[in-house]
Amino acid sequence: MTAKVTVKDLHKAYGDNEVLKGINLEVQENEVVVMIGPSGSGKSTFLRTLNNLEAVTSGEILINGYNLVDKKTDINKVRENIGMVFQHFNLFPHLSVLENVILAPVELGKLSKEDAKTLGMQLLTQVGLADKADAKPTQLSGGQKQRVAIARALAMKPSIMLFDEPTSALDPEMVGDVLQVMRDLAEEGMTMIVVTHEMGFAKQVADRVVFFADGYIREQGTPEEVFNNPQDPRAQDFLNKVLNV
Amino acid sequence: MFKKAWIKYVMLTLAVILGTLATTTTGAAAATKEPHYVITTDTTYPPFELQDKNGQYVGIDIDILKAIAKREHFTYKLVPISFNSGAQAVLSGQFDAIMAGMAITPARKLVYDFGTPYYKTGVIAAIAKNSKIKSLNDLRGKTVALKTGTGAAAYALSIQKQYGFKVTYFNDSNTMYNDVALGNTVATFEDEPVMKYAIQNGVKLKILTKPANSGYYGFGVKKGHNQELIAKFNAGFAAIKKDGTYDKIVAKYIGAKESTFAGSAAVNNSIWGLLKQNKNQFLAGIGQTLMLTILGIILATIFGVIIGILAIVPNKFSHGFASTIIYIFRGLPLLVLAFFIYIGIPSLTGHKFSALLAGLITLMLNEGAYIAAFVAGGLKSVDNGQMEAARSLGLSYWKAMRKVVMPQGIKLMVPSFVNQFIITLKDTSILSAIGIIELTQTGTVIISRNSQGFRVWFLVAMMYLIMITLLTFLAKWADKKFGNN
Repeated sequence: MTAKVTVKDLHKAYGDNEVLKGINLEVQENEVVVMIGPSGSGKSTFLRTLNNLEAVTSGEILINGYNLVDKKTDINKVRENIGMVFQHFNLFPHLSVLENVILAPVELGKLSKEDAKTLGMQLLTQVGLADKADAKPTQLSGGQKQRVAIARALAMKPSIMLFDEPTSALDPEMVGDVLQVMRDLAEEGMTMIVVTHEMGFAKQVADRVVFFADGYIREQGTPEEVFNNPQDPRAQDFLNKVLNV
Repeated sequence: MFKKAWIKYVMLTLAVILGTLATTTTGAAAATKEPHYVITTDTTYPPFELQDKNGQYVGIDIDILKAIAKREHFTYKLVPISFNSGAQAVLSGQFDAIMAGMAITPARKLVYDFGTPYYKTGVIAAIAKNSKIKSLNDLRGKTVALKTGTGAAAYALSIQKQYGFKVTYFNDSNTMYNDVALGNTVATFEDEPVMKYAIQNGVKLKILTKPANSGYYGFGVKKGHNQELIAKFNAGFAAIKKDGTYDKIVAKYIGAKESTFAGSAAVNNSIWGLLKQNKNQFLAGIGQTLMLTILGIILATIFGVIIGILAIVPNKFSHGFASTIIYIFRGLPLLVLAFFIYIGIPSLTGHKFSALLAGLITLMLNEGAYIAAFVAGGLKSVDNGQMEAARSLGLSYWKAMRKVVMPQGIKLMVPSFVNQFIITLKDTSILSAIGIIELTQTGTVIISRNSQGFRVWFLVAMMYLIMITLLTFLAKWADKKFGNN
């Protein structure tokens, strides 16, 4: 069986500043990979290269068999299959909650407006916000916004979900609801790549934890291996700081 | 759905109107077997050309032209436009001929061919009625007022060194006379019959000198062009001179009382009277101003939105192109742009087009450049995360732009649009310079006939304010109705 995501020797530089210095990673179907590491380690940049929001300097990215680095690849087609959830939600403020969710499937001709609405309501029910369908994003709390954003990404029926620090901009009491939605997704077998600082989530849900520092993957393994017995000194130092507060 | 049908309707109307504008000049000619010409005249040069109280152009030039055309079997369209622009536009091929009290001078003979000289004239100096100036020698160090491009101005410049005066220029006779009467400038030089007529009709000036530099007025065409028209003019002129028509025409205007053409003093002394008497002219002027404003802003919006989007597309070429367009058309004064399009472009291409079309293109480019600048600014101010979120769902750049970025950006731009609408309305007044008889030009023309500067400008100012108020309401209503609030 081939991997869902294959990354080989990926480099990314802004001018002279190289932020990704040769990343190699494979993600299997149904796998949940959680990426941790200090700020500025390159984990968010790496995640954004996986749907081409960041262009890469060199290397190879294969997702569902599509080569993302090849200019001839229809990036829109690839993205339809990759859901992305952002730290700052990025809901469309001029549209209602339900309209946010159904915009892409309707505009891209995947579903009729009626079918999209039915699906949209199902997804909003799934994230616990069916009663907010007609609200505008500004009327929602941060946690609610992020759950709508997840529903919006799911509306395209993606086979991979990318999460870029989905709980970092939330008040602490909102974090639980969002993590619960993500946990449910993982249990349903969604392939997920998550950048987060929620170590509890990583321990519980991740199949694999990947530790980033200075533009490299320094260490990876099961949560038990990484959290209980890190080999890399940077990882030891980082985990010591975040786990023993 | 309703929204889309509405836009379609506007676009269709626009296409029809533009099509009509582009073909009017040629379309009229084809309708008749007699040769057809487009002839320009001055807007304000009584008694040679002036608008009477009914809004009809009359005057010695106009009547001579009419009599000759009838005898010689040709038809023509008369386009009144400021003398200087008209004279240039004949050379650029916009007009076939000029009949505007144009003095025949050696310099002009190099570029124009003139018909038989039709009126003898000389240049006189005029001063305010209460002026203490006794002779040209008293002008030393003082400023005199001249009308751009006239023979009288050329004469004044030829004696400027000898008498040591300074000069300032006007495009419109009446404004120039008022400037002298009010004492801003001490004297003006003008053709004798014109000055006499003006004084007879209430301009508070008196003549200082005997006619000098005697010469003749001529009917002009671009050198080497329209020779058959010159031949017809000469034949017709000889005939009307012989049978007394010419003398009748001259007598009708020289020595005519003010009220003959301008209306009675009672009418002219009340604002209400002026309004009533000139109702049709004012309405036509308002109509033209509104038409220019609305078509202008629609064209400018289409142009501006396209350029504004090109300015933010992540592509170096399109970005550079849009920035250059914005830089050029925002940097050019509207008046320069209007002259360049109306007079310059036909000289280059050999195709003439109507002043109205030239005016609309001018507004489209100039106002469009401002719109492009705030469209680009508005779209840029939409958080980049919006575009990223839309793209991450698989939407193409343009779809994301249309469905996500633009609806948010446009909301930010609404106040700028309302503002630009008002600016456009005001800017249409500048187009009077290329001869479009919109509201400002209507005011100028009415004043040239009745010398009621203060009252007429007051009326014109009120009309602009009313239009701006109504259009602002309309814009706010449209924003509520069609906007995303």
